[in-house]
Amino acid sequence: MTTEPKIIGFLCNWCSYRGADGAGMARLKYPPNIKIIRVPCSGRVSPELVLRTFREGADGVMVLGCHIGDCHYSTGNHRTAKRMPLLKKLLEYTGIDSERLYINWVSAAEGEKFASVIRDFTEKISTLPPFRETMK
Amino acid sequence: MTDRLTSLREAIEAVLPNVDGVLALRIGPGGISASHLFSKEHPEDLAKLALWPKEPVPDTLKIILRAHPDAKLAIVCRGCEERGIVEMFKHAQLNLDNVTLIGLQCEQAEAEFCRCAKPFTVHSKTTVGQSIKGVPDPVTEKIAAMSQPERLAFWKQEFEHCIKCYGCRTICPQCFCNVCTLEDEKWVETGRLPMANPSMYHLIRAMHMTAKCVACRECEETCPADIPLAVQFRLMARDVKELFNYEAGAVMDQKPPQLLVLEEGDYERSGLPH
Repeated sequence: MTTEPKIIGFLCNWCSYRGADGAGMARLKYPPNIKIIRVPCSGRVSPELVLRTFREGADGVMVLGCHIGDCHYSTGNHRTAKRMPLLKKLLEYTGIDSERLYINWVSAAEGEKFASVIRDFTEKISTLPPFRETMK
Repeated sequence: MTDRLTSLREAIEAVLPNVDGVLALRIGPGGISASHLFSKEHPEDLAKLALWPKEPVPDTLKIILRAHPDAKLAIVCRGCEERGIVEMFKHAQLNLDNVTLIGLQCEQAEAEFCRCAKPFTVHSKTTVGQSIKGVPDPVTEKIAAMSQPERLAFWKQEFEHCIKCYGCRTICPQCFCNVCTLEDEKWVETGRLPMANPSMYHLIRAMHMTAKCVACRECEETCPADIPLAVQFRLMARDVKELFNYEAGAVMDQKPPQLLVLEEGDYERSGLPH
């Protein structure tokens, strides 16, 4: 692949963003393709937001939040857990590779997991053609 | 057809003295039936009662009840329309204490026209006609069986025809938000036809219809570009059934999944990591 994939990550302020911070503090290496957007809660990430991110030309979108049960707002990430699998299905039904949307839970202590999640996802997206081109 | 019409007229006549009006279809001046409020003051209107085509009667009910929240109304509804009313009730759009349901069972030809899986009412106390079994939906099956690139090409071609008239949104019994996301330029681009691919309009609408779509197919009926819109909603409805064991309009006191926190089993079925 010649072009680098563009990946946008929506990270929850209380767990995943702190996890990314931890990965930085520990000097862990992960690909620079991800652009991080800090959101108050992963439940804030509406399907509209994900779809528009794709429309703006992202090749992959990550939504990372607190583990179920650890949400700062107690049930905020339940919304993520309910809507994101359905959004993945919808992408599939529309003919878009549902692998382009990735959901996982990363806590503030999981810097190592954060780095490996980013590595795996970037690798996976690199094997796919750029999103814009598939839509032409 | 005549049989059902006569018994429906009798059912309406029985209900009419107890309510302010009955919503049903009637043959209008142009020969086209449209939803009409039958009242005790004008019993002669009942001679013009009609059954088909399917019109968005729940929508009319919603409009009347917004203006007159205390009105006691009866409504002639098919299976899908009844589900629409139940979902509207669940989302606090109307008070079912004030609404009497008269269930009209669809006939085989009508069910096949709609590719309907549930052409019968379940909640109505008064019913008219014999209930029949659901029919398979060949269009949905065809699209579900396509490969991913085929599906992409199919929807791209279909959505290119869309003129963004917002007809599907307006006619939908489940689209009752006062502020509509689809009118927000942040999400849906204006001033460009055909819409950019992937179509934000249709994807957002499909997401908003999740666990709400009652498969009435009004959107497809009204679409001037003949886009098979209901297919996406029906495929999503299968997933909702699988994930949350929820069917729109099926059980009166089952809360929609949007309003619930997850329980252990629901979460495991979602396929997300722990």
